[in-house]
Amino acid sequence: MSLRTLLRHETILALVAVVLLVALAFQSSQFFTGANLLNQGRLMTEVGLVAIIMTFVIITGGIDLSVGSILGLTAILTGVFWQNLGLPLMAAAGLAIAVGTFCGFVNGFVITRFGVPPLIATLATLALYRGLAEGISQARSVRGYPDWFYVLGQGNILGVPTQLWILIAFAILASILLAATRIGRSIYAIGANEVAAFFSGLPVNRTKIAVYTASGFAAALAGVIFVSRVSTTRSDMGTGLELDAITAVVLGGTSIYGGRGSVIGTLIGLVVIQSLKNGLSLAGIKAEGTAVLIGLMLIGAILMTTVLNKRRA
Amino acid sequence: MASNFEQQRALEPYVRLAGISKSFGPVKVLKDVSFDVCPGEIHALLGENGAGKSTMIKILSGLYQADGGVMEIEGQPMRFATAKDANAAGIATVYQELLLFPELTVAENIFLGHYPRKAMGRIDWTAARAKARDLLDSLDCHDLDVDTRIATLSVAQRQRVEIAKALSHKASILIMDEPTASLTEKDVTRLMEVVRSLKARGVGIIYVSHRMPEIFALADRVSVLRDGMMIDTRDITEADEATLVSMMVGRSIEQLFPKGEAKIGEPVLEVSKLNHGRLVQNISFTLRRGEVLGIAGLVGSGRTELALTLFGITPATSGEIRVKGKPVSIRTPRQARDLGLAYVPEDRGLQGLVKSMSINENLSMAALDRMSPGLFLNFTEEARRAVEAVKRLGVRARAGIHQPVGELSGGNQQKVVIAKWLETRPDILILDEPTRGVDVGAKAEIHAMMSDLAAKGLAIIMISSELPEVIGMSDRILVMNNGQVTGMIDRADATPETVGAAMTAQAKSKEAA
Repeated sequence: MSLRTLLRHETILALVAVVLLVALAFQSSQFFTGANLLNQGRLMTEVGLVAIIMTFVIITGGIDLSVGSILGLTAILTGVFWQNLGLPLMAAAGLAIAVGTFCGFVNGFVITRFGVPPLIATLATLALYRGLAEGISQARSVRGYPDWFYVLGQGNILGVPTQLWILIAFAILASILLAATRIGRSIYAIGANEVAAFFSGLPVNRTKIAVYTASGFAAALAGVIFVSRVSTTRSDMGTGLELDAITAVVLGGTSIYGGRGSVIGTLIGLVVIQSLKNGLSLAGIKAEGTAVLIGLMLIGAILMTTVLNKRRA
Repeated sequence: MASNFEQQRALEPYVRLAGISKSFGPVKVLKDVSFDVCPGEIHALLGENGAGKSTMIKILSGLYQADGGVMEIEGQPMRFATAKDANAAGIATVYQELLLFPELTVAENIFLGHYPRKAMGRIDWTAARAKARDLLDSLDCHDLDVDTRIATLSVAQRQRVEIAKALSHKASILIMDEPTASLTEKDVTRLMEVVRSLKARGVGIIYVSHRMPEIFALADRVSVLRDGMMIDTRDITEADEATLVSMMVGRSIEQLFPKGEAKIGEPVLEVSKLNHGRLVQNISFTLRRGEVLGIAGLVGSGRTELALTLFGITPATSGEIRVKGKPVSIRTPRQARDLGLAYVPEDRGLQGLVKSMSINENLSMAALDRMSPGLFLNFTEEARRAVEAVKRLGVRARAGIHQPVGELSGGNQQKVVIAKWLETRPDILILDEPTRGVDVGAKAEIHAMMSDLAAKGLAIIMISSELPEVIGMSDRILVMNNGQVTGMIDRADATPETVGAAMTAQAKSKEAA
């Protein structure tokens, strides 16, 4: 059943997305052009990477508010390792991603070892990691990266933005992981009934730590891509990113109570949000209007899941 | 009592159902059901899980609306749109899962939603507390303080609060859904007194229970539902246990506790001086292949805590566990599983199953890494094993192995939990209340399965609150009280008296030493 209801939610959302794309195409002639759509894909990648793993986190019944701060910290560290420590840029970025991944591991460790609710634990690390980023950067930005680095964030491969390839690969891997592996099954079981999962001998804590670590990795990778896209590092990068990611996940039909959700739903959610933002601004509607519309859609999506679940019960 | 009842029968029924039917989607849950209760009558309602009892109760208490048929209150046709309507018509229900607010006091819970009021709608707390006191006194519960928070009360005490709450609605009819399912023997006796005193005050009672002794001790009439149909309603004087059981299951049950002869082999589990907290103190015993070791004791005696400690959920703080002769340390359920232990927990909804997941997903959960050793889940193998397990254990599921287990009846859910653990091919199976909330038919099937497993060399530990079950199924019975062993009784010496005496005895290890 879970698969069927999921598909139902996602089918409906996919239809909404199609209607939206058509409607926006009629609003502005610039919207439905290859160049614009690919560019939107480019802009969507950072939130997308984070949202895909956020889907995992939320399915376990948790949440990760620290992703925006991890992104900021990774961005700053990439610049600092390269410029101040003189590491080769590749090594600097790799090391920064390792630190970001470790930040995610710390979240998972605190949550499982001390039983702190994920909301509180990651709210604390949201402040902690952002504070570290600001402290390390001393409000200075790092610029002037070598040209090859910009291929990642500004270049194309086969006519498609480089980072969009990364997002696609990431999404495919994550979908398979969630739907067809033991860890995926454990993630669903933990979210639906953690006690029963533990009593059944599933590695509950190990799975949760892995999921938060992966979330840190996704945010860190997004951080490096961000730097490459905007050619600079600043400590406030990624502020509020966690909310965009959570919005996409919930819009995509993942239950905020855990146990239910899918990567494909999150991807459709991302597309809907990104095309609304872009299409409406092209049609001359102000950003505030877009925010209101996204809020309304979110409420609609939650009502829809509730109604679908009630009908099933 | 019978003649007394004959007089009362001359009274009009307070509530009467005639030709009631109810469907959920294509499934007909009730078909042409007729039923009535008179004031001052105890009417027992029997039926297997899934027979339609709960649906019928929910129609009477206004939670569901019937699709067809009539409901009459004192001769007047009625329809309840909400539970409030039913309360107003004098029908109150005490559900199996008690629905009290743990952080509120006894008095607050009793009058929640209909507090006595003073001028300008202010709540009259003095009156509420006094009225709550009166209600509890009328139930002979002088020991319950109206200012205590519910969270600090025992299950039996909470139930009395529920009954008082029902009476605060001036109920003429009280529906009790399996009121004794989680009570100790002593509390059952006390509850039965309360029920009798309610009857004496003219309250009509619909008493839903699986337990025959209670039904014969209390009821005036008994009705049996099966597959949504009312099979029969009889005076209790015209019914006996065997007929009722065969009416419920539609067949006669040869033997309730078929513990067969099994060859008792070498020890597989040796526990010595095991400790965890207050409820597992210095526990020592040996379990052999092919043996069923029953664990008896009152609620809170440490039976379940012992199982949790053995299974690594609350790891032992001291003591020794040997599995197949090897000393082991068990810190997590996963380690316990790898050592060949399996634990079917007490609360199947919370601890045993992931209700939103399907039968096959639940069945593979404990043996996931063995069933799919590679990177990917082996869906074919999972489905094959699920189909086999469903067939072997007779799990009844309309939609097959992909049905969410939450939609199954209690007995079938329990079979899924047991099957899940059998997939791990355990040597030692711990069953905690394996037949609680399970209907008679499924219960017999579970008992037969245990016998069969023991005959195949599995060592079984069975925790149960039902004395006849413990005595009937066990080769030996370990009795606990206050976290200590107070008796180890062989099958030959096990009677309700010997086991019951040990359940309330104090541990004599000190004197013995």
